[in-house]
Amino acid sequence: MEQTNNILLEAVNLTKKYEDGVTALDAVSFTVRAGEIYSMLGGNGAGKTTTINLFLNLIEPSAGEARINGIVTHKEPLKAKKHVAFVSENVMLYNNFTALQNLDYFARLGGRTGLTKEDYYEALVKVGLQDEAHSRKLKTFSKGMRQKCGIAIAIVKNAGAIILDEPTSGLDPQAGYEFSKLLEGLKEEGKAILMSTHDIFRAKEIATTIGIMNKGKLLMQRPGSELIGENLEALYLQYMAGYQQAG
Amino acid sequence: MLRLIVEKEIKEILSSTKFAITFAVCSLLLLLTFYVGARNYQFSQKRYEAAVRENLRQLDGMTDWNQVNNFRIFLPPKPLASLVSGISNDIGRTTDVRGGSDNSAYDSFFGNDPVYAVFRFLDLDFVFQVLLSLFAILFAFDAVTGEKERGTLRLNFSNPLPRKTFILGKLLGFMAGFIVPLIIPLLLGCFLMQFMGIAFSGAEQLRLLLIMVTGILYLSVFLLLAIFFSTKNTQSSTAFLYSVGVWVLAVMIFPRLSVAASEMFVTVPPLEQINAKKARLSAQLWEEDRVAMTNFKNTPTTDMQAIMKEFGSFMDTQAQNRENKMQDLNNRLFEERDNMQGIQQTTAFTLGSLSPSTSFSLAAAQLAGTSLALETHFRDAMKAYKNVFNEFFYEKTGRRMSGGMRIQISTGDDEKKKPINPAEMPVFVYNEPQLAEMLPGVLIKIAVLIAMGALLFGAAYYSFTKYDLR
Repeated sequence: MEQTNNILLEAVNLTKKYEDGVTALDAVSFTVRAGEIYSMLGGNGAGKTTTINLFLNLIEPSAGEARINGIVTHKEPLKAKKHVAFVSENVMLYNNFTALQNLDYFARLGGRTGLTKEDYYEALVKVGLQDEAHSRKLKTFSKGMRQKCGIAIAIVKNAGAIILDEPTSGLDPQAGYEFSKLLEGLKEEGKAILMSTHDIFRAKEIATTIGIMNKGKLLMQRPGSELIGENLEALYLQYMAGYQQAG
Repeated sequence: MLRLIVEKEIKEILSSTKFAITFAVCSLLLLLTFYVGARNYQFSQKRYEAAVRENLRQLDGMTDWNQVNNFRIFLPPKPLASLVSGISNDIGRTTDVRGGSDNSAYDSFFGNDPVYAVFRFLDLDFVFQVLLSLFAILFAFDAVTGEKERGTLRLNFSNPLPRKTFILGKLLGFMAGFIVPLIIPLLLGCFLMQFMGIAFSGAEQLRLLLIMVTGILYLSVFLLLAIFFSTKNTQSSTAFLYSVGVWVLAVMIFPRLSVAASEMFVTVPPLEQINAKKARLSAQLWEEDRVAMTNFKNTPTTDMQAIMKEFGSFMDTQAQNRENKMQDLNNRLFEERDNMQGIQQTTAFTLGSLSPSTSFSLAAAQLAGTSLALETHFRDAMKAYKNVFNEFFYEKTGRRMSGGMRIQISTGDDEKKKPINPAEMPVFVYNEPQLAEMLPGVLIKIAVLIAMGALLFGAAYYSFTKYDLR
C-alpha cells in the first residue's frame, strides 16, 4: 500500500536482534514526511546505521517494519528502493569511472533510463561540482567532491526519500556548509531526508526533527523548531547521562 | 539490468590498473611462450634434419647391405609439442634399427642438455596451469569483498537491484573481462609462429584451438573459485588466502599426491628387474649357442663356399631361435609391466582428474600428442618400422638383422660393386594418433572442467544470495 499522507519514511517498532543476542535496535519508531529532514544523533553503536540498513533492506528486521513510501522494505525491497536514494559516509563510488560515468551507472541502476549527458551535467552543476571535474576519474576527487557526486546521484535518481549515513563526516567547514545548503535545497524541493550524524551543530542547523539514539533506543525526538535557542550538545549529553543512569 | 551490471563490470575491469598489469603480464607470458616454442621447434627441426642427413651419409660408399649395421630412426619434432611439451623432452628420440628385442630409445632432449631439465621450457601447459591460474585468482579475489570494502556494495543495493542479477552480472563480467583479453595474445602468438615460418596443418590448428579452449575453461575454474571465496568472506585478504590455499592444493599438491597414491596401490616391475631377467636369458642362450657352435658339423665337402653357406645358415637359425626366445621373454615382461603401468597411470589420472590442473594438463598433452602415450606410440612405430626394415634387409641380404656372427669372404672385387641406394630403404614416418582417437579422453577432461566451473558458478551464485551486504 503506497502512502498518500506524504510520509515517505517510516519506522514502526523497528527492532534488530542479532544471533549473538545483541539488540542493535529496540522498537524504534519515527516518520519523515516530504520536505522534512530527520536527523538521527548518537554515538558509535547507537543504532543509526542499523536503522539505515533496515530501510535499505541490507538486513532483515527482527520485529517491526521500515517503510518507504508506505512499502514495507523487507517484504517488497525492490519496489521500496525505487523511492529512495542513498548517500553513504565517505561516498565511495567507482574510482576508475568519471563522475559522469558513475552518475550514468547509478541512474540506470535506479531505474532512470533515457537520461542525457545534459541531465547529468545539470545535476553535477546543481551540487556545485566544477565543469572540469565532470570527466575526471573519481580517484582524483577530494572527499567533498565525492560527497557532491553522491548527492548528484541521489538527485538524478529523483526519489522522494533520501537517506544519508554520516554525510558530513570528515568534511572541512566549507564543504560541510555547502553540503548543508544542498540538503536544504532538497528539503525545499519536497524530499524526505533521513540523516544519521555525529554532527550536533549541523543537525540543529538543518533538521526538521532531531532524534537522539543510544544503544539501539530512540531516547528523544523533537522538532528542530523546539530546539532553537537550546544547547543541543548539553541536551544530548543530558539524555545520554539519563539513559546511562536508568540503564 | 543484467546487461548494465555486466557492462559496468567490464568497464571497471578494463579501466583498472589491475587489469592493465594482468593483461600486460599475461600477454607477455603468452607471446614469450609462442616465441620460445617456435624457436625450440626450429632448433629441434634443424637438429632432426641434421641427424637424418648424417644417418644417410654413413651409408655413402657402402656396396653391400650387410654393411648397414648402425642405421637409426628419429622421432620428428612437432610444432604443437613445442607449445605443450608434455613428456616429449624427457623421452629418447632416437633408436637403433638392429635385430634383437631392444626397443629402447635414447637421446632425450633433457638428457642431452640437462640445463633445460633444470629450468624446463616455458610452454602453454606451465603458463596456463601455474601462472595464468594464479593471475585469475589475483584478478578476481576481491570481486565482491572489494565492493564491500570500498562501500559501493551498499550503494548498489540501495537501488532496486536483485542479488541474483548483481552476482550473475559480476560472474559474467569477470569472465568476459579476463578471458576475452586473453584471446588477443593467444591469437597474436599463433600469428607470431606463422610469421616465424612455422606452419600448422589443419588438424594441428584444430588441436591448438582445443588446447586454448581447454586452457580458458581451466582458468575459468580458478576465476570462479576466487569469486566464490569472495562471496564467502567479508575481507579481500581472507578471500585471497582461501583461494591461494585451494590453488596450492589443486595445482601443487593434489596431482603429486595422486601419483604417490597410485604407486602405493599398484606396483610396477622396475626396468632394472626386467633387464636383469633379459640379461640372464641372453647369457644362457649365448652359452647354448656356443655349445651348438662347438658341435657344428658341416656336410663333408671340399667346397669352401658351401661350408660357409651351411655355417651361415646354421648361425641364422640359431640367431632366429635365440631372437624368438628373447622376444618372447621381452614381450611377456613388458606386457606385464605395461599392464601394471597402465593400471597405475589410470589410477593416478583418475585421482588427479579431481584437480582441474591435472585435467587441463592431461587434455592439453593429449591434444599436443605429448602425453604418456607418446612413448608407447613411438615404441610401436619403431617396432613396426623394424619389422619392415628387417624384411627389406632380408630381401637384400638373405639374412635377418639379428643374424649374429657371420663370416663373410671378400673376393677383392668390391670396387666393381655398385653402391647401395639408400633411397630404396623404407622411410620411417611417425604418425601421431588421430584427433578422433584421443577425443573421447579429452572430452571427459573438458567435461570435468566444465562441471567444476558450473559447480563453482552455482556455489558463488548461491553464496551471494546469503551475503552480508552491510
